[in-house]
Amino acid sequence: MRRRVFLGLGGTLLAAAALGGWTLGRSAGQAPLLLSARNDADGRHYAVGYRLDGQRQFATPVAERCHDVVAHPTLPLALFVGRRPSRESYLVDTRDGRLLQTLASPADRHFQGHAVFHRGGEWLYSTENDTREPGRGLVGVWRLNGNQLQRVDELSSHGIGPHQLLWLPDGERLVVANGGIRTEADSREKMNLDAMEPSLVLLQRDGTLLSKEQLPERMNSVRHLAVADDGTVVSGQQYEGDPADAVPLVAIKRPGQPFQPFPLGEAQRQVMHQYTASVAIHSGLRLLAITAPRGNRVFIWDLDSAELRLDAPLPDCAGVAACTEGFVVSSGQGRCRLYDCRQAEIRMQALQLPAGLWDNHLRLA
Amino acid sequence: MLRPALVSLALLATLAGCSPSEPPKPKKEPYAAASAALTDGVLLPAYTRWTDSDRQLADSARALCAGEQDLASARQTYLAAHGAWAALQPLAVGPLSEGNLAWQVQFWPDKKNLVARQVNTLLSSKPQLKQADLEQASVVVQGLTAYEYLLFDPAIDLADLEQKRRYCPLLLAIGSHQQALSARVLAAWLGEQGMASQLKSFPNARYAEAREAVAELLRVQVSALDGLKKKLGTPLARGKTPQPYQAEAWRSGASLASLDASLASAEALWRGANGDGARSLLAAEQADLATRIDAAYSETRQRIAALGQPLNVLLADEAGRASLGQLYDSLDTLHRLHEAELAKALGIQLGFNAHDGD
Repeated sequence: MRRRVFLGLGGTLLAAAALGGWTLGRSAGQAPLLLSARNDADGRHYAVGYRLDGQRQFATPVAERCHDVVAHPTLPLALFVGRRPSRESYLVDTRDGRLLQTLASPADRHFQGHAVFHRGGEWLYSTENDTREPGRGLVGVWRLNGNQLQRVDELSSHGIGPHQLLWLPDGERLVVANGGIRTEADSREKMNLDAMEPSLVLLQRDGTLLSKEQLPERMNSVRHLAVADDGTVVSGQQYEGDPADAVPLVAIKRPGQPFQPFPLGEAQRQVMHQYTASVAIHSGLRLLAITAPRGNRVFIWDLDSAELRLDAPLPDCAGVAACTEGFVVSSGQGRCRLYDCRQAEIRMQALQLPAGLWDNHLRLA
Repeated sequence: MLRPALVSLALLATLAGCSPSEPPKPKKEPYAAASAALTDGVLLPAYTRWTDSDRQLADSARALCAGEQDLASARQTYLAAHGAWAALQPLAVGPLSEGNLAWQVQFWPDKKNLVARQVNTLLSSKPQLKQADLEQASVVVQGLTAYEYLLFDPAIDLADLEQKRRYCPLLLAIGSHQQALSARVLAAWLGEQGMASQLKSFPNARYAEAREAVAELLRVQVSALDGLKKKLGTPLARGKTPQPYQAEAWRSGASLASLDASLASAEALWRGANGDGARSLLAAEQADLATRIDAAYSETRQRIAALGQPLNVLLADEAGRASLGQLYDSLDTLHRLHEAELAKALGIQLGFNAHDGD
């Protein structure tokens, strides 16, 4: 019995044997493809794709370290977005890892690590920084022409230092996390900690501002996002103020409601050490997952009741994405994990992917 | 080729029929063996000593306050408890690091002398302090640093009956708090799914494989070595005015003893109780690195032993500061050897995303 096998190993298995049939995957019979930036032990950077059963699809060397990955909605393409402040992103064929285009940021712009393809597949939107007017947040608009992305336009992000952006469920409105931190051209140094302006912005695809909301604490940088299929938006913060301050490190905007703190237990808030990394929502199971690499913890909550479902150790935990069973989580140090959330008791399995050196975000395609 | 050899061995075993005795146990994978050996030989003994020393601390507080123990003995008991705590610094994996507990045991750094201020504020507002009052109070007054203040600060004399009446409720409460806290942590190590079992049998709910456990041990060790540099570097304040009151355990003069206790544990992780520590994981061609780390431990510990004076005395003159500076450099070398070379030699990634700000 599957259940007995799990119990026999203390709730854990080193994947493969028990994983049997993956239920989700673009190609029938194949395990989902995990896309992520990854380093090797010597510090070289790669854009990689692995099947969740451990099979390597590609590992393409790239010049700059990447951050998030954006899979094309229909074509076997993905953009590996340069980690801020970056002047390059990489368009890769996800079948074999072939580098199709090294995307250069326009003059006086650098990438901020995140982007999204429009559902039609023709347009890509990327968060960017204006280096002539450092901190002025932009959303770059790119058009896919054949296998090449071309710069077409740019919109205001209506804030400073935009980081992640995502679509609301209609696929026409964007939600943007303006981190609020001003950085200079080629530096990661924070220049305005005394005058930060983080915000959560909703935009029409043409750039029209729909709403702009802020949390009360100005040093609480809104950085990462997840959106549920009912339009609920969750953000993960990184707080630049006093380590002892108690501030909302997770916030939520339910449809039609204001942007407000997501209720965290005090023990969970403390162990995060003022820092959240990646955020994911499983719409079917109505679950929220967040990685906290400074606390070396992975958290899962019920999205609606805010009940804590999992508080588990994982050193240097990094990317998280929803899969059929629950969530896949990567780590800069250890093995990637699958958290199966379909039963009351969440079970962890380690995946047979290479251990460690996984960058902040992962996507499943 | 390995594969045909294995197949033929298996075939041989089948042909030989069922052996009446149990099949030979497969030799433990080296990382699993090291993690298990360190758990039994180094970690569990250190956590047990700490728990024992805190039980003695609570007993000592009761005896002192009942007039059955003199101040000198109570101070010795405190020093033993602090030493046992210092020894845990490179071993703080699992329960101790996950509940924000360290601050409840020791309040350092204490740049603004909060310990003295908060102890007196607390006792003024609650002269009849009860255990529950301490449990709800700030971590500043719950731990060994406040206990040390009561026993060693020149402004307090617990041999004096009047002062004993004022300070004993707090002394007793801290003793009990520490005893309960350390017992709770030890219990989390010993349970069926406890920390010790998770360091000895893989995979489990915490570690997918033994390499993850060894990586975490190394990570905590490296972070403790870095912390020792800070503990020495803060009062030494090279190039500036020394800051003796910024030292750890300055009131009891235990700063250097504490440093040495932490170092001894770091060295125990390296060597193992029976030559079965991290060192045993290095391959033959990494013998040079092993020798250099051996030498760095010997040198650092010899430097501490040779100081011969308490930290505050050494900080007061130039020759003393020069010796402390050399000690700092030895610690720095030791730290770097672990952080860079040992981690790389063992194929361990110490941290990648945690400080990204992304």
